[in-house]
Amino acid sequence: MSGTLTGHPVLDPRLAPPFPIAALPLLRNAQLRENVAHATDVIQSKRARLVAEKTDWQELRRAAAAIRSHTLEHLGSYLEEFEARCTAAGGMVHWASDAAEARAIILELLRQEQASEVIKIKTMTSAEIQLNPALEAAGIHAYETDLAELILQLGEDEPSHIVVPALHVNRSQVREIFARSMGLKDLPDDPKALTAAARTYLRQKFLTIPTAIGGANFLIAETGSVAVVESEGNGRMCLTLPRTLITLAGIEKVLPRFADLEVMLQLLARSATGERMSPYTSLWTGVTPGDGPERFHVVLVDNGRSSILARPTERQTLRCIRCAACLNTCPVYRQTGGHAYGSVYPGPIGAILTPQLMHMEYAQSLPFASSLCGACYEVCPVKIDIPKVLLELRAQVVNQERGRAARLRDPMFIGMKVAHAILAGARRFRAAQWLGRIALRPFIRKDGWIHTLPSLGAKWTQTRDLRGLPSQSFRQWWTARGKEER
Amino acid sequence: MSASAPSRQLILDRIRAATQNPRQSASNAAELSRSYIRRGKLGVQERLKLMIERLREYDAEVVDCVPEEVPAAIGAELASSGRRVFVAPEGLPAEWLVAGFDWKIDRGLENAEIEQAEGVVTAAFCGVADSGTILLHHSPSEGRRVLTLLPDWHLCILYASQVVETLPEYFDRCPSPGTPVLATYISGPSATADIEMTRIKGVHGPRFLNVILVRDGD
Amino acid sequence: MRASLFITCYNDTLFPETGRAVVRLLERLGVELEFHPQQTCCGQMHANTGFRAEAFSQARRFVALYRNAESVVIPSSSCVAMIRDQYPGLFEELGNESLRSEFATLLPRIYELSEFLIDRLGVEDVGAYFPHRVTYHASCHSLRGLHVGDRPMRLLSKVRGLELIPLEIMERCCGFGGTFSIKNADVSSAMLSAKLEDVLSTRAEYCTALDNSCLMHLGGAMHRQFAAMRTIHLAQILSATEGSPPEEVA
Repeated sequence: MSGTLTGHPVLDPRLAPPFPIAALPLLRNAQLRENVAHATDVIQSKRARLVAEKTDWQELRRAAAAIRSHTLEHLGSYLEEFEARCTAAGGMVHWASDAAEARAIILELLRQEQASEVIKIKTMTSAEIQLNPALEAAGIHAYETDLAELILQLGEDEPSHIVVPALHVNRSQVREIFARSMGLKDLPDDPKALTAAARTYLRQKFLTIPTAIGGANFLIAETGSVAVVESEGNGRMCLTLPRTLITLAGIEKVLPRFADLEVMLQLLARSATGERMSPYTSLWTGVTPGDGPERFHVVLVDNGRSSILARPTERQTLRCIRCAACLNTCPVYRQTGGHAYGSVYPGPIGAILTPQLMHMEYAQSLPFASSLCGACYEVCPVKIDIPKVLLELRAQVVNQERGRAARLRDPMFIGMKVAHAILAGARRFRAAQWLGRIALRPFIRKDGWIHTLPSLGAKWTQTRDLRGLPSQSFRQWWTARGKEER
Repeated sequence: MSASAPSRQLILDRIRAATQNPRQSASNAAELSRSYIRRGKLGVQERLKLMIERLREYDAEVVDCVPEEVPAAIGAELASSGRRVFVAPEGLPAEWLVAGFDWKIDRGLENAEIEQAEGVVTAAFCGVADSGTILLHHSPSEGRRVLTLLPDWHLCILYASQVVETLPEYFDRCPSPGTPVLATYISGPSATADIEMTRIKGVHGPRFLNVILVRDGD
Repeated sequence: MRASLFITCYNDTLFPETGRAVVRLLERLGVELEFHPQQTCCGQMHANTGFRAEAFSQARRFVALYRNAESVVIPSSSCVAMIRDQYPGLFEELGNESLRSEFATLLPRIYELSEFLIDRLGVEDVGAYFPHRVTYHASCHSLRGLHVGDRPMRLLSKVRGLELIPLEIMERCCGFGGTFSIKNADVSSAMLSAKLEDVLSTRAEYCTALDNSCLMHLGGAMHRQFAAMRTIHLAQILSATEGSPPEEVA
């Protein structure tokens, strides 16, 4: 049975349970919560230290947001420029309007290569288009070469974080996975030994498998180059050793100029891993005879991005450079980890990106999976106003519900409509306050507090008491005081 | 590739329709205002000190010398590494191929041969002190990308005149657009923190990085 | 100096003592307060839950009510954030230019309580006396929406007898999030649990904040757990004087 990434319903937005339901078993997993809290704390504190040291951090964010906004505004021309330059340098550029087409293009390229195996560099885009199951179905085995992706593949698990995908897995779990799949029954569980085991296991793959599939952090329009940022070196292996390289990239990955990297590279590693620069950044342009692959393909993927581009408020979603700083700071993600989001893109960015990639037909619970605390916006290196986009998407979800008969059976919908009617005028409001006091009286205990409520109220009282409504509202007190004074 | 031409047109049409009304006035990325730091403020000595400090933070070993001493410094580094077999880029200066070691010059070495080597020696294009980054453009003295990837030990000879303080200064040093065609930026040996956020050095790629900083212009 | 008090729908109904404390405090500082009886709600709950059309009408009522006010004081930073952050977009979407410009002239006259005290009245020492150990939770709207900065701390630092014990992570969200606390009750409770650990470990007697929404959530859990700590709105601390402690609420 192959690994997933993702043939598994857990991360398929069409099949995943709504966020509140998916979250519950994860909240009950103390080990997971501990792992997530630890991992995100480590990255956050490293990030904070480096951000404090970088005195022009806010200026860099502003410049990055401007570069990315500008790029999106002129996306068509920059993509065409990239295609022309990359092609002139010996690369081949393909365009995939959706996931199915991207898979088909890649499978065709692999068929032309007669590839039965491929090595892969981590690319979220490949998980987004559900590439691995399609490869397996075609009899092609894909070896994930990122340590975390390897852990997940061998463990038949799914990523729970954009940058540190296996953060929900601890060392003894990794040991068990490696011992089993690599046949190393005496493998110790210290990270050094585990990493050494992975290094040996993968070395042979790098040196012998002639076809690689990877992603891109940035596509440079001006030069037709591709930039890949990484820590482990498996990227360099896959980009340099094979005969054929296929790079899969969302259409929003393009940057106008080579020099724009001076902004993006200063922000990316500090945001993603709390380092000034990631260990390796690789840049290449088309094909260079004698150095690297002889055949180089870029598959540009739309898969819903052009729809997001069309919407004024939501367009900023596409600025994302996949640093995951928003995940690391999110107090919701901290408690649930990534799997609760039912998507390869979890956390705050996932909450806005996933439903939009699905044309708002799925993952409608995700825009509500946020307390709107705004911490994500504060750390986003490209200044995506995630809370603003969340609110916009919530309005769209509710507008969809307005047209459905099921809304009449939804206590939340009814409650909001009733509340609106009440809040429309002061007289009704006062009447509702009076009614509320009466209705809640039976629930008030001797200490003046409510311990249990029915229906939606039970959601509050499952973990919180509620003070009984005071017998006199503020406005009643004010009015009475006014009468006294006269 | 003509097979995806219909999709190409479809995607570009969608994009055009989506971006019909540009709101920003800048039509050229170069026009966007940038107020971040471009040039560093440190003097030469402080800059070199910072570069060394940042390299050592990554556990890279750094020694310095004056230009005349480079071959001797290389010899010392190679000797103390305990290694014997080294690959060298074709364009490495001849005087750097110090005697007493087994040199494989890359005139088209097979990967299997490079795998046999215990280390590699290269020049560099630039160093950025702010992040302790070594930037390779894979010129003849820096070598093909595979040379600094497969061996476990990399000795890099970096000249003080190649060291800048900030990353934007490196970009200023790159010649016209289109260069570099190939580049690798190295900020410490490879690492992972994927297992419980414990940083482990050396997953793939050289686990050991040694730098000789040559004080030219002192 | 005159000011109009917007009490907020939930303070009016659930926390009238906060309103009374605001009145006591501001009148003591010489402010002539008025209270429009027609007020109800700023529309935040609806706007944040995706019911934008419903929030429009509430926003319209608010602007109509306060168009002539010298200042509007609001003891709730989330409501002020709603008005500042979302009303402009709402009115633009409505396409009603006169309403939009009317709001634009009203906006600078809207103050959250700590902003009113420090920016409008120019006071930090309001003559308060509250001899207790207190910890302060920075509500997300006040911190990241309004950028109140250190205003609440400056006010608290001048309260005689008060010992301020800082939270380890003052700025982490308590998990209330409005209707989030109902729609995602389990996650909200997990966030609450994590925040409460920090709050209770200060061993303060009171936890205070600018928003009764956060305090209702934190206080509700404290009460459920029989914790030896209570919540209290900043207004109540600031209104307390030596002869006149804040109203006791269970």
